[in-house]
This record gives sequence, structure tokens and C-alpha cells, in this order.
Amino acid sequence: MSAADDRSEQPAGSAAPLIAVRMQGVSKWFGSFQALNKIDLTVRRGEKIVVCGPSGSGKSTLIRCINQLEPIQAGSIVVDDIDLGAGGKNVQRVRREVGMVFQSFNLFPHMTVMDNCILAPMKVRNAPKDEAIATARKYLARVHIPEQADKYPAQLSGGQQQRVAIARALCMNPKIMLFDEPTSALDPEMVQEVLDTMIDLAEEGMTMVCVTHEMGFARRVADRVVFMDHGEIVEVAPPEEFFERPSHERARLFLGQIQRTHKPVPE
Amino acid sequence: MIRAFGWGEVLFIVWALRWTLALSAIAFIGGGICGLAVALARTSTSRALRLVTTGFIRLFQGTPLLMQLFLVYFGMSIFGLGIDPWAAAAVALSLHAAAFLAEIWRGCIEAIPPGQNEAATALGLTWGSRMRYVILPQAMKIAVAPTVGFLVQLVKGTSLAAIIGFTELTRSGQIISNATFQPFLVFSLVAGLYFVICWPLSFLASRLERRLARATAR
Repeated sequence: MSAADDRSEQPAGSAAPLIAVRMQGVSKWFGSFQALNKIDLTVRRGEKIVVCGPSGSGKSTLIRCINQLEPIQAGSIVVDDIDLGAGGKNVQRVRREVGMVFQSFNLFPHMTVMDNCILAPMKVRNAPKDEAIATARKYLARVHIPEQADKYPAQLSGGQQQRVAIARALCMNPKIMLFDEPTSALDPEMVQEVLDTMIDLAEEGMTMVCVTHEMGFARRVADRVVFMDHGEIVEVAPPEEFFERPSHERARLFLGQIQRTHKPVPE
Repeated sequence: MIRAFGWGEVLFIVWALRWTLALSAIAFIGGGICGLAVALARTSTSRALRLVTTGFIRLFQGTPLLMQLFLVYFGMSIFGLGIDPWAAAAVALSLHAAAFLAEIWRGCIEAIPPGQNEAATALGLTWGSRMRYVILPQAMKIAVAPTVGFLVQLVKGTSLAAIIGFTELTRSGQIISNATFQPFLVFSLVAGLYFVICWPLSFLASRLERRLARATAR
């Protein structure tokens, strides 16, 4: 890790911390299986990180620790200057600032698209209903499905559902967005519409941590690519460096396999 | 003197049906409230809560309802609460219903994909909000059919309260049978009345089950 990653001082007068996420010595076990082994990772504000690696390498676990969907057994995680390990209401505070998009969408099937979007703003942020609806309309328009607000998730295509899931997360005005393989469960023809939404979001300056194998997306959007294997971060590099000259054998092997199965996404 | 089995006797038995229905309703409501609490505790992350509620469920599922009635009935008099068949039957049947409903509802809560709870958690919703707005509304849909099915068992179960002297349908049948010496006729009527209550419920349960199967087949 470079020295630049470890800067913690903030410019005077800036309210938002420069560091969005700082993970130090994070270890996580499922029973006797070690899923994460002494992870150190710092995500700067506005930075876009793509996490990749073979299945079972711990990449999903890594981002699930950031909003404590998974508790950790060792190390520390500080998100937006809030220490997750310090107890109290900190976990709740972090979850309010961190949006998450899942592989399987996880929309609430018994609610309309609109109700999916306004539930958390109303119940967590105590937003008035009309304000929550206005926010939801804004974000549904931004993900290009304003006309679907009154439908139920089952009436939408996979790509549309995932865009609703992104809008739902954005309705909480998160400072950081986590994406856990957002396109892996989609039919191929729907992958691009979701990636385009994510690219828009990236261009607006959102801090993003994405677990994905979409290498076209990584090349276009990522500031750094994090390559994981066996619960460890093996390599961290800017995308062009990672894809052209991976310095670790395991990364080379992985890229070889990916390129055989994944066609690069056209720009 | 042997009484004849006339209209008066029939009406006496039919009229006792209200106590069977009242006892069923009380046990169902009491059992429903306790059962929901137990089901939530049973699916919670607290190990202590899970252990205690699992013990409660095992205890009530592993002993006959009649013993539960006896223990509550005689237990109440030992603890100085007097001998009251009404209260004893209501308490015992409520606890019995709580254990069974909790186990049915636990299954329904656990049938909701974990991603639902994760998504709600990631949005910052508290446990109470997650349950109220996300998990329970979905679990309820699955729960309706087996819950109505259990209600049938509960209605029939109230007949055991006759043994501790609670005068409901079965007990009134015993009284008339003892007076008229027409047990076959009397208990045929009693059984027929249970059937009139339970059969529509069973029918409703299987219809709801089919409807759910169609709704989830997609």
C-alpha cells in the first residue's frame, strides 16, 4: 500500500472526511474457515474501487463487512469517520450513509417500486412522505424508469429490478455505494443498462466499491482494482496496470480465465 | 329416572357450542399473541432467547394436551389461584396454541429469503422495522393456510377441557348422555357439531394452500 493511501489529515474547513473507508488488519472467520486475512484497504472519498478475484476469495465478504452485514473478528473498520467497532449506534449510523446493491436485487416483492424506494427514507431518516416520494421520483428518473413506480418488482425485467435497487439505495442519499456482483444474476442483454447506470453514478463523483467481473466497467470507471485470493488482497493497482501488467502470478492466471469466459464490454 | 332425548336436550348441546367457540377464540388469540413473540424470539440472534423458546416449544409439543390441562388446572389451585376450569382451560390451551403457532410461524419467517433481511438491514432499518414492514408481511402470506389448519386442531382440542369440568360441547354431551342413556345418539350429535365447525375451516385451509401454491409457482 502506498503512503498516499494512509493519509488521514483533512483539509481545514472540510466537513466530509477525505477517507471514506479505512480497513485495518481486518480478519473474519466462518467457523474455522478464514474468509478474510488481515485486510488493509483505504478508500478515498470519490474513489471507485473494483474488487475482483476467483469465487470464494472473500471479495463479497470484504464489502459486506463495510456495512457490517458480516461482523469481523479482528481489525478495525472506519467508515466516514465512524468507527464500526466502537459500539453504540455506530453500526446504524454507518448503514445510513452506505448504500448497497446485491447480486439478487433483493427488492421487497410485496411492495411497489415506489414503496421500496420510500420505506427507508421514511422509517430511518423520518422523511415526510411527500418529500420521500419526490426524492424517489428523482432517482427513478435518473435510472431511467420513472414510469415503473407503481409496478411490483415481479412485473419488471431483471435489469429494471436492479436499477430500482440502485435507486432505492440512492434514496437514502448515501455517501458510499457498495455493489456486490450487481450484474452476475442478469441475462446478458440486460447487463449494459445496469453498468450504464453505475457509470453515470461514478461520473457524478459517488464513492463506489464494486465487486464485479465486468472488466470493461473496471477499465472505464475504476481508480484502482483490488485483486483478492484466499481471503487476502494480493494486488492493488490502477486498471491499466492491473490488466496489462499484473505483477502476481495468481492475478495473471485469474485474468486469463476471465478473458476466456467474458467478452469485453463494448464502450 | 331416564330422560328422553328430545328437542330440549338437542338444544342444550347445540347451545353449549358457544363455549367451545369462545374457548377456541380465546386460545387462538392468546396463543397467537404469545406465539408471535415466541416465533420472533426463536428466530432472533440471541442464543439465550432461542434456547428458552425452543425449550418451551419442545415441552408443549412433547406432552399431551390433556396433561397440560391437568398441570395448569391443579397447578393453579396449588399456587392459591383457586379452582377455575374456565381460566385453567384458557391458559392451558393458549400456551398449547402458542407453542404450535410459534413453530409454524418460525418456519414461515425462515422461509423468507435471507436477502430480504440483508437488504433491509443495509438500508439502515432497525430490527423492529425489518420485521414489521419487510419480513412479517411476506411470512404472513405463507402462514395463513397452516394457521387455519392448526385452528381446526385447536377447536377439536378444546373437547379435552370437558375432563377438568369445563362445560363446553363435549361436557354437555356427557351430561345429556348420563341423563338419557343414549350415548351413541348424543355423541353422534356432538361429533356432527364439531364437524360443522371444522370441515369448513379445513376446506378453507386447503383452498388457501392451493391459492398460495399457484401464486408462488411463477
